[in-house]
Amino acid sequence: MPRNLAHDRAGSGMTAPAASEIAIGDSLAPFSRVVTQEQVNAYADASGDHNPIHVDPEFARSVGLPGTIAHGMLEMGILADAIASWAGGNANLVSLSCRFSKPLLPGDTIICAGTVVSVDDAGVATLEVGASSDRGDRLLTNGRATVRLSR
Amino acid sequence: MPDQSHVGRRYSAPGQRIAPESARAVAQAIAGTDPVREADAVPPTFAAVYCLGPTLAQLFSDPEVGIDLAGLIHGEQSFEWPAPVHPGDVVDATAEITSIDTRRGMTFVRLAMEATRPADQAVVCRATSLMIVRAPA
Repeated sequence: MPRNLAHDRAGSGMTAPAASEIAIGDSLAPFSRVVTQEQVNAYADASGDHNPIHVDPEFARSVGLPGTIAHGMLEMGILADAIASWAGGNANLVSLSCRFSKPLLPGDTIICAGTVVSVDDAGVATLEVGASSDRGDRLLTNGRATVRLSR
Repeated sequence: MPDQSHVGRRYSAPGQRIAPESARAVAQAIAGTDPVREADAVPPTFAAVYCLGPTLAQLFSDPEVGIDLAGLIHGEQSFEWPAPVHPGDVVDATAEITSIDTRRGMTFVRLAMEATRPADQAVVCRATSLMIVRAPA
């Protein structure tokens, strides 16, 4: 069975991948997560963002949505989780940006992806990152992350 | 509706405490049914709670800008974390409207935010947000 490097790294503490091990074109390990309405409700409570488009299906439909939608920040949090697990911990994630292109509908699975596009002399890797849903919607686009590698 | 005259408007939310139970709850909500990867860490995007939330709340309730929440879309987001933030830290958050453009009936409001920890003067987060306001139907 192939070894899952991301899990090994995450399990070994806060060790980032070594700059010498990382090459342009390397990808994040596959990372997907079902996002349920319960999870969206939990995020609303935890974050204090109780906008009814996330928690009230009737209200969501009244503003032209097919139903409730997940918080963009919940999706971005999952993307950050995917990158941090590759990067050996939250502390190695230096920056993250993305566009919220299409909303995630509760019940769908978010699938995160990322590819290394450069590594600088200071050992910081830049990745193009994004997320799509299992129904094929592009959720998070134009994403970019920087990760501090170990020497 | 927001217009050019609102560019440069600033919002300040000092004394935001990174409540450990709140950081844990956000980490758990992000993890869903998976285990939380770093139980005692502040998730990076918790910046939405200590930096965006308290400053955007002021923007959204600013009667002179007059944003209609029913037509509001979070369009883009960027974060940079120059220094780590820890549960229990207290940070000061600020936001400034950096540009406002209107096209095709939509108003694009860009903001820049920053969160600083007064205890050591460290900037713990720099962020930019794009909020899109749709004209009322």
